[in-house]
Amino acid sequence: MRMSKVVRTAADILFPFVLIFGFYIVVHGHLTPGGGFQGGAVIATAIVLLIAAYGYDAIARRITKDALRNTEALGLIAFIATALVALALGAGFFYNWLAGTGLLFGMPVGFGPNPGDLNTGGTIPLMNLAVGIEVLGALSLIVLYMLSGTQEAA
Amino acid sequence: MKRVIMAATVAVLLAGFLAPVIGLDFGEPAYTDMDEYFVQHGQEQTGGNNIVTDVVFDFRGFDTLGEATVLFVAVLGVGLVFRTLRGGET
Amino acid sequence: MIVFAAHALVVAGLVIAALLVYRFRDLLSAAIAFGVFSFLLSLEFYILQAPDVAIAEAGIGAGLTTAIYTIAVRGTQRWEETEE
Repeated sequence: MRMSKVVRTAADILFPFVLIFGFYIVVHGHLTPGGGFQGGAVIATAIVLLIAAYGYDAIARRITKDALRNTEALGLIAFIATALVALALGAGFFYNWLAGTGLLFGMPVGFGPNPGDLNTGGTIPLMNLAVGIEVLGALSLIVLYMLSGTQEAA
Repeated sequence: MKRVIMAATVAVLLAGFLAPVIGLDFGEPAYTDMDEYFVQHGQEQTGGNNIVTDVVFDFRGFDTLGEATVLFVAVLGVGLVFRTLRGGET
Repeated sequence: MIVFAAHALVVAGLVIAALLVYRFRDLLSAAIAFGVFSFLLSLEFYILQAPDVAIAEAGIGAGLTTAIYTIAVRGTQRWEETEE
């Protein structure tokens, strides 16, 4: 059940911009409003936009449910693994083991209002990415499951 | 009679929701020690400029872990329900 | 002044959209009205200086929940049964 050419062209033009906006929200989660959950929801909205324009059958062939299921599990595993590394280093669970070490995302940041640097935040950007991947998979998967379930009933 | 009750309900709701817009004062929160600590030390201890993300992913990491788990289990439930409805497909 | 006017309009629209969700017998219209409600709620969160919650509400409430309700209406029935 695909929509008219106008809707399809508009969805084609809008899709990359929504996608890039979602990734921006995820990656800049420790500097600007937003974070993993919000960015993942925005990316899932982009996938729902494609489904609304092209119909379920055309999209389900490209974006399979198996791939999304693996994406979701991978995000959750990455999130827990980031927290577990702190345990291996001798600190508490969820300890921010990257902050202030000078490694990736480890630059110290000054106190007070400052424009911010992407290379700060310790484990927060990593956890943002993991949660973003998980939420993107989960919310798209819910919509795809419901569509595949109601496909024959309708 | 029913129409009058409906109109009165709408009027009360509108008045109640519009009161904060006019400038109703909700008072001060009772205990502010914890938020003061987050605002003062969050930037130094985690290095993130967005205090909300600092709290969500660092100081309150266990809550975020629970939220991610809840989402995962919700997807499991949706998959279970709609796979049964569809029939033989795996 | 114009901020007050915008805030009052958004709050009044919230109450009206919520009442429309309650009154509609056509469930598809109710789903669309719920989308309008979520969009106005995200505007209200933005006015109250909570941009994190505003982004989440705009993405999930106005985007995904409307889609999920529409799919659910398509899978079941469109009109709410009238109580006798």
